[in-house]
Amino acid sequence: MKHPLLYYSFRFIYGSLVILFLFTSCKKEYSAEDIPIPPVVKDHNILLKFKAVVNDTVPLAFDTATYTNFFKEPFTVHAFKFYIHGIEMINTDSGRVFRISANKYFLVDFSDTTTTTLKLTILPYLYNRLSFVIGVDSARNVSGAQTGALDPANGMFWTWNTGYIMAKLEGNAVGRGAFEYHIGGFKEPDNVLKKPTLLFPFGQTIDLKPEKNTEIIVTANISSWFYNPHDLRFRDNPVCTTPGPLAKQISENYSKMFTVVSVINE
Amino acid sequence: MTTRLTIRIFLLVATCVVIINACKKSDTEKKGPTPITFKIPAGFPDPFYKFTNNPLTEEGFELGRKLFYDGILSKDGNFPCASCHQQFAAFANFDHNLSHGFNNQFTTRNAPALINLAWHKEMHWDGGINNIEVQPLAPLTAPNEMAEDINTVILKLQSDSLYPSLFKSAFGDETINSQRMLFAIAQFVGSMVSADSKYDKVKKGQAVFTDPERNGYQLFQVKCASCHAEPLFTDLSFRNTGLPVDPQLKDIGRMRITNKIEDSLKFKVPTLRNVMITFPYAHDGRFASVRNMMDHYSDGVQDGPTVDPLVKNKILLSTLDKFYLTQFLYTLTDSAFLKDKRFSQPE
Repeated sequence: MKHPLLYYSFRFIYGSLVILFLFTSCKKEYSAEDIPIPPVVKDHNILLKFKAVVNDTVPLAFDTATYTNFFKEPFTVHAFKFYIHGIEMINTDSGRVFRISANKYFLVDFSDTTTTTLKLTILPYLYNRLSFVIGVDSARNVSGAQTGALDPANGMFWTWNTGYIMAKLEGNAVGRGAFEYHIGGFKEPDNVLKKPTLLFPFGQTIDLKPEKNTEIIVTANISSWFYNPHDLRFRDNPVCTTPGPLAKQISENYSKMFTVVSVINE
Repeated sequence: MTTRLTIRIFLLVATCVVIINACKKSDTEKKGPTPITFKIPAGFPDPFYKFTNNPLTEEGFELGRKLFYDGILSKDGNFPCASCHQQFAAFANFDHNLSHGFNNQFTTRNAPALINLAWHKEMHWDGGINNIEVQPLAPLTAPNEMAEDINTVILKLQSDSLYPSLFKSAFGDETINSQRMLFAIAQFVGSMVSADSKYDKVKKGQAVFTDPERNGYQLFQVKCASCHAEPLFTDLSFRNTGLPVDPQLKDIGRMRITNKIEDSLKFKVPTLRNVMITFPYAHDGRFASVRNMMDHYSDGVQDGPTVDPLVKNKILLSTLDKFYLTQFLYTLTDSAFLKDKRFSQPE
């Protein structure tokens, strides 16, 4: 004797349970990261590209090329890197500022091209200034073991006098031997943190539209390390590897090394 | 039909059970490392290091313990942390004014005892290290100590047969990086608490000082406690105790860190807990015994621009005072700490 209604209702209940199981069970196991992001959504809309140069415009070549500083001292470059964080996009007309999380640190190392282009996401708008902090905030210098860009294994950390090397320039002063500038210091009066605000080339702005990209190219000029406002000669100071007045002077020099050379809006 | 119905009901129930258990099971499988509560001894202030970003767990502690005793952290494999920090010497270097490091080199300062470091704001004789987590990087990278490179250590740990699974049990996955290594060591070293000496038992009313010990304690409170403040037996400050500069070492102390002329020749006040077994004494281990150290304070202090006002005019101590003080200092030896199996070399 058949009971079709009973038969179907069982099939229905059973089937529903299986479907329910597939879709809802163990739901708490999933977190936001597990939900696949549709490929059309972009993870950034700003490319901030750093280019190392000497004498304002000459692209840097490590070790092989010889340059001269402001005092006609010849040198080659072996390492050039620095930390930045606290990136801000500013519109000076409306006063609006978009801040990238200050906890996001970038180590720009010109020997590793994967680190010289920063991918950022900002609110689409019109901006005419770019600002960032060169170095590592004092809190991060005292809060123990860090990871990512701030991993001490990146070689930008003093192990005997806790603190980050905010910027590093190493090379050979031809005829004199190696020079080494490891610039750091987060405590007053030796704080070397600098926050330059960069103008854009005449007539150029970040004009970011929704779904579009903007590319900003910034040069970092090694020649700036050696003068204005402080004279730095290999003859007098080939080495600076501790916080102090010399490090502070050098940081004042290099805080002027950045120039926005172009802004390309899509 | 009734059979089919029974089967269907059974299947329905079974499915429900499977569904319910599927969720339950993954809950039990997901259990992480076992938390440990860091106990603050009675009368101690709040620690400076609270394991806030580095939760203390059995697995993390045990990993730190293994790392502390493993030569893998040094360049040639011969210099684990424990080579200069021995448990029977309260994690100082027993009977060594300076310690031995890579390639037959000496260190430049006396290895300090590792006691109650969670309460210390700054490590090292010059206070150059501002957080216990990053402290191990100093000996690890110093060319005359462990002489190793951070990246090389991480690579060695990653390619080891045991460490990846130990990092997994401590931190959830097999990732090995410097932060996790330092977190684990901080869990182990930060847990080294010494607060069970006779002195502590007297304070808790569980023991009584002998007469000489009591006399010594009274003298101590008057003559020594302004720098070696209870209960840590250090006020964690930096002071110049009037030691003549060693012509070879030329150690300027705290000034190396602060660049301040007023910090010249200042060194961190060491704890006196377990002091009788942490000889030799002073930042360069120049004094072989506590008697030598006390003789310095009563007769040897050399005045100078940064010499501490408290010792500038020497400390008046008779021979009998020194005897009583020594008797008191013996009560600071914490045998339970020195023999605590949790801190000994893992088997």
